[in-house]
Amino acid sequence: MAMSGRRLRLPPLRLVRAAWPWLAVLLAFAAVRLSKGAFVLDAYALLSRPFWPGTAQSEWLRSAQQFDRQTRLQQLEADNRRLRGLLDLDRAGVSLVSAPVISRQAQGWWQQLVVGQGSLQGVAPGDAALGPGGLLGRVASATPSTATVLLLTDPASRVGVWVGRVQHHGLLVGVGTPRPVLRFIEQDVGVRPGDVVTTSPASTLLPPNLTVGVVQSVNERAVPAPEAVVQLAAPVDAVDWVQVRVQRP
Amino acid sequence: MSSLVRQRWTLATALLMPLLVLASPAPLQLAGVPPSWAVLWLLPWALVDGPLSGALAGLALALVLDGLHPGPLTQVPVLVVLGWWWGRLGRKAPPLERSFSLGLLALLGAALLGGSLWLQQLWWGEVNAAALHTLLAQTLLTGLLAPLVCSLQLLLWRQLAPGLRS
Repeated sequence: MAMSGRRLRLPPLRLVRAAWPWLAVLLAFAAVRLSKGAFVLDAYALLSRPFWPGTAQSEWLRSAQQFDRQTRLQQLEADNRRLRGLLDLDRAGVSLVSAPVISRQAQGWWQQLVVGQGSLQGVAPGDAALGPGGLLGRVASATPSTATVLLLTDPASRVGVWVGRVQHHGLLVGVGTPRPVLRFIEQDVGVRPGDVVTTSPASTLLPPNLTVGVVQSVNERAVPAPEAVVQLAAPVDAVDWVQVRVQRP
Repeated sequence: MSSLVRQRWTLATALLMPLLVLASPAPLQLAGVPPSWAVLWLLPWALVDGPLSGALAGLALALVLDGLHPGPLTQVPVLVVLGWWWGRLGRKAPPLERSFSLGLLALLGAALLGGSLWLQQLWWGEVNAAALHTLLAQTLLTGLLAPLVCSLQLLLWRQLAPGLRS
């Protein structure tokens, strides 16, 4: 046979020795390919690390965003005041009186704050007491130099509030625990955890659009209408000064 | 009226109770709930000074304390009854002065006071989900403080009014 004279020959050992660096390079490329470029990307990250965007840049961005938000907030507040003035919702002559907390009973049978400003400074029953974070409660009684604020958590407290996302009113009822209950009148309100609860935008008794808290959980099976547990925004235990919104004479 | 009342400044110590209620010192709270200061003051007073004085002191103290809180809840009935009851117990021999007895009486008094406030909240349609927590914490704390506080008050008042009790 014609092919019978040819024998399968292995490459000479010399050639294999000469080619092994190339084989190694080829294997390395194959490894890069199979690992989706892991070594290359890691090496690139290592080399380019000095040129990565640093914390300074993120701070610039954050401060720019904050400035943008502040500007928008001021514009919206000015707009809000103008529109409320047009609707005659704002009573003229409202001011804020800063008052120190001189007695705090955040748990127990009564949940109240006693603050060190009273009727001499214009504080009257029904005035709203605000703290860092939002609404704390309403003034229940006032003496010439003190006022007692009934906290939103007190079982006697009942305040009308507004859930902006679903555009529904509700009644915030204190139940003695740090988290009051939000009761609705209608069924199927669609409230869910995370919704922000504020005072009503049309409220004249309380400051409008003031943060009250965040819905923590919703009980859809409550009778006769759904109920939600609200985590209050203002930390009562840490508040040393409050602002009382008083009507100027 | 017996001799404690005649020394007017002893009655003035009752004025410390509203101050303690308002100050509500944090180290003397259990789970955020303060003790019942009214019970801690009224118990030794009534034991030393008798039922009529105890009931009147309870009435006066309850009226002052009710004035510090908004809402319709009142401590008057329970403090009057407790003052009368403890005053009658104080008339019996041997005198009640053991720590355990004082603690038990204060425990019962705080439980009755808390129970009456809870019932009043239910009556007025107020839902208090923390009522049991408040009742238990206040009762326990008052019962624990009573042996210390009430014993000292008993000693003081018996020194001030010698001959009143053996």
